[in-house]
Amino acid sequence: MLAMWLFGTAGFILFIPRKDWRMGFFSFLLFQAIIWLVDMITFALDWQHAPVREFPKATHMPLTLDYFFYPVSFAIYYVNKKSKDGLWSRFIYFFVWISVITLFDNVLERYTDLIAYDKMTWYTIWLDFGFLYSVSQVCCNWYFKDRDSFQTEQRWETHEN
Amino acid sequence: MRIEWWIILFVYVAATGVLLFIPKNRIHLAIFALLCKQLFTFFIGLVVVELGLIEYPIRCFPSVNRTSFVYEYYAYPVVCAAFNVWYPNDSSPLYRFGYYVGFSSVLTLGEVIIEKYTLLLNYIHWEWYITWVSLFITFYIVRLLCVWFFKKGKVSYM
Repeated sequence: MLAMWLFGTAGFILFIPRKDWRMGFFSFLLFQAIIWLVDMITFALDWQHAPVREFPKATHMPLTLDYFFYPVSFAIYYVNKKSKDGLWSRFIYFFVWISVITLFDNVLERYTDLIAYDKMTWYTIWLDFGFLYSVSQVCCNWYFKDRDSFQTEQRWETHEN
Repeated sequence: MRIEWWIILFVYVAATGVLLFIPKNRIHLAIFALLCKQLFTFFIGLVVVELGLIEYPIRCFPSVNRTSFVYEYYAYPVVCAAFNVWYPNDSSPLYRFGYYVGFSSVLTLGEVIIEKYTLLLNYIHWEWYITWVSLFITFYIVRLLCVWFFKKGKVSYM
């Protein structure tokens, strides 16, 4: 668990260039909001549970994974995605990334008590991550699409508090 | 239906209404403020419940979470979005300070009333002024983040 916080922080600093920190931070926040909501539902339906967790009393959900680690993974994914490449290479990038995350989740499930599947299997996890990643990606693309309006808003925010 | 569920429903509707009133050209700021606020409310909400300072007897997703989903995931972030969208940039420091005080006070007042008369919220080891101070501080932090995020600069956003 501690390792995930360390590697997550290191990954954010190492793999996201400084000039893209805002974009990384935004995609981190967005993915966090979405994964929290979706996992809330899957946990409420008893599809999976987390036997060992950070706040055992306050929530049944794994805080490190949902609040920090997976959002960071998405931020790294999103910032390093090359939007100019062809459809095919974008698809492979997406596919490989989702598969690695799924594999990671499966390894956690099998060898630790951080997460346990009830009705989930490796392919529903794959679909789950595929869904989360594509929704977040669409939202982020929309958010960063309109540069003009983005800059109009910037003009509002030039004053300090 | 119990009065508590009516309040939750009302909060959802009211928060959505506030969202709809946000001008279209300010929507990026609103979303960013909302997401930022979630980052803090999730975490602080969980810590507070874990330490047994506050409890929420009636809540959404009761089997998964002991914190208040509607308030921490939706209502308070929406208020924060509104706070930043209509932030009085050009006014005097005193007025801006009053803006913070006003938002924090209204929210605290609402919380105290809810605490007193409903089962949505129960203070165990908690006081209204802790709520007030934490609201003020989180508003301020999110405001700083927003200023940083939308700062004009050499940075490319694409």
